[in-house]
Amino acid sequence: MTRAEHHEWTRAGMLRAAAAGGAAATSALVIGVRDGDGASQAAPSREQDNAILNLFLRLEYAQEGFYRQASNSKNLDGDLRTFARTVGPQEAEHAALLRHRLGSDAAPRSDQPDVGNWLTSPRLFRQAAIDLEEAVIAAYIGEAANLTRGALADVAPLVSVEARQVAWLRGLGRTTPAPRAADPARRPQAVLAQLRKLGFLA
Amino acid sequence: MARRSRTAAVVAVAAAILAVVAAALVPGRAAHVRRPVRASALPAPVTPAFVPGAARPLGSTRHLAHWAPVRRNAVVRRAPDAGAAPVTALATSTPERTRNIVAVLGQARAGGGQVWAHVRPSMLPNGGTGWVPRSVLGGYETVRTLLTVDTARLRAVLYRDGRPVLRLPVGVGMPGWPTPRGRFYVRNRLTRYRSPEYGPIAFGTSARSPAATDWPAGGYVGIHGTDRPELIPGRISHGCIRMRNRDILALAGRMPVGTPVLVR
Amino acid sequence: MSGPTLQDIDPDEALQGALASLCGTTRAGFLRTATLGGGAMLAALRTPAVARAEVSDLEILNFGLRFERLQAAFYTEAEELGTIATMSAAKQQWAQTLGAHERAHVRIFKKVLGSRAEGRPTFDFGSANATDAAFTRTAVAMEDLTVALLTGLAPIVHDRRLTAALMGLTTVEARHAAWARNIVGSAPAPEAFDRPRTLASVRGAVAQTRFVVKPPKTSSRRRPGFTG
Repeated sequence: MTRAEHHEWTRAGMLRAAAAGGAAATSALVIGVRDGDGASQAAPSREQDNAILNLFLRLEYAQEGFYRQASNSKNLDGDLRTFARTVGPQEAEHAALLRHRLGSDAAPRSDQPDVGNWLTSPRLFRQAAIDLEEAVIAAYIGEAANLTRGALADVAPLVSVEARQVAWLRGLGRTTPAPRAADPARRPQAVLAQLRKLGFLA
Repeated sequence: MARRSRTAAVVAVAAAILAVVAAALVPGRAAHVRRPVRASALPAPVTPAFVPGAARPLGSTRHLAHWAPVRRNAVVRRAPDAGAAPVTALATSTPERTRNIVAVLGQARAGGGQVWAHVRPSMLPNGGTGWVPRSVLGGYETVRTLLTVDTARLRAVLYRDGRPVLRLPVGVGMPGWPTPRGRFYVRNRLTRYRSPEYGPIAFGTSARSPAATDWPAGGYVGIHGTDRPELIPGRISHGCIRMRNRDILALAGRMPVGTPVLVR
Repeated sequence: MSGPTLQDIDPDEALQGALASLCGTTRAGFLRTATLGGGAMLAALRTPAVARAEVSDLEILNFGLRFERLQAAFYTEAEELGTIATMSAAKQQWAQTLGAHERAHVRIFKKVLGSRAEGRPTFDFGSANATDAAFTRTAVAMEDLTVALLTGLAPIVHDRRLTAALMGLTTVEARHAAWARNIVGSAPAPEAFDRPRTLASVRGAVAQTRFVVKPPKTSSRRRPGFTG
């Protein structure tokens, strides 16, 4: 842990203690140092929050746009159409929260790519949506711990819903909704590259 | 006059250029231009403190046994039906003032939706099983151990997950006082009682001696130490399974209450 | 003209985080834009706290272990005693997978905590996992509660590496919850946002189940009365 990080957490602990009327801040649990971590991480900050939340906003826009197009597709019906029509507005709400959080620092929405090639069949839609959702979840898991506490408090209840969505979708495809005991993180750069390649991002 | 006009024009252009430069250099003065966040500006994920290992299916339950405490006095019945014939009565306590427990063999849902547990209680004749409503019992506990006692070879073997972990010589019932054969379980564990004839630790079992029905404490068979180690192995007891004290201590470190006991 | 807000003076939101753990995240969000010293903020701060002000990571991990043990025991017992075998193939896969995941979670929590791990509680599930219907009902509720717990814990964890680890579990538990809801024909993702709960609130919910009980007394110092 760098000095800057330690200062950030200690100050937070002191402020919490002060807010609580004097309860002593306990020291962080030392649960093992892992190579390559901590020392090279920048401390959470408003500026870093903005960068991360704008990433999340971009991902929510990509999802919302995809499901909006899917909702109107004649090639989807039944369960998949229900999925798109339920989840699309949820992604819109996620985007709205992130925009509210960012205020004037919210990046403008880019033009929505045409994802029609993923809507030519239910199978293609389902696979593309799973790839999209899994990538988004991995990005959220990857960046969550880089957020300030306040930002994380807002984002955590959104991330869990993303996971619900992908479990639902996987179940529709008779793929196990929960393939692992823990979900992995991915670097945001890798997620963005994958989504560009798939055509979800310009 | 033309020279003055040209000078004014140059000054105006210079002022315009300066205004543009100033706008670019002075933050907040120009209109705020929000640029998309560069991916390279995003921090790397924090390495998690832990990652769970692979999830494993339950595997074989062949070597598992279950037991449960008795929460309230009840009647054990032949079938999962309140109208079925009684088998024996269940009390909540043992003579040693510990909570009475039963081996749980299974469960079933009876007509009407009530869940019943199939149990092996401590009773005479030995070996009986029956049913009680699930609500009679407390929480189920699981053990992975089994103790076998061979009265012919005068040997006990403790198994864990089906593998032998202790082999111990034992003393068993003398003629006229046989150690009962059958399937039983360890019911309780007694310590610090200062009776050298029982050694440092004694386990109560669900087995009852048919020859000791008048025994003050009910004629229950125990597994315990001894102050006569030189008699082990041998047919020396009134039904109890005796061990040398160092062996009962070794057993105590590995045999939890509820362990099935198979006496052959 | 309104005065400075909390947002203005708390750029890294440390105080915001403190208030979130005191007052709950929704109220903390409101307080962020309320004028400092303003009547609205003072009124909000005067209302009773809904969360403990300070919870250590050790306490969080041990509660996590207790909760995972409860879930693992629930699923494992149902499988060992045959309840899961009575289900359809699809439900069996669901129940067995969840049991395997929860057991993996218990193992890792125990490993991380080492000697600081609290002892295993005694559980009594009664009939809650004895029939398909009761098991399913209880599992759905338990998985939703787990999501509420983990989303509530996220902003109060101290060690960021622990935050990162718990996020990877949060999404898995959310998958469990959606899967369970789908099994019973309920909406897998009923709302755009899950509702976090505080540690105290989840403790209370667990207490209400009465699944955690005192261990039975199976040892004694009485002199043996065996046949000898």
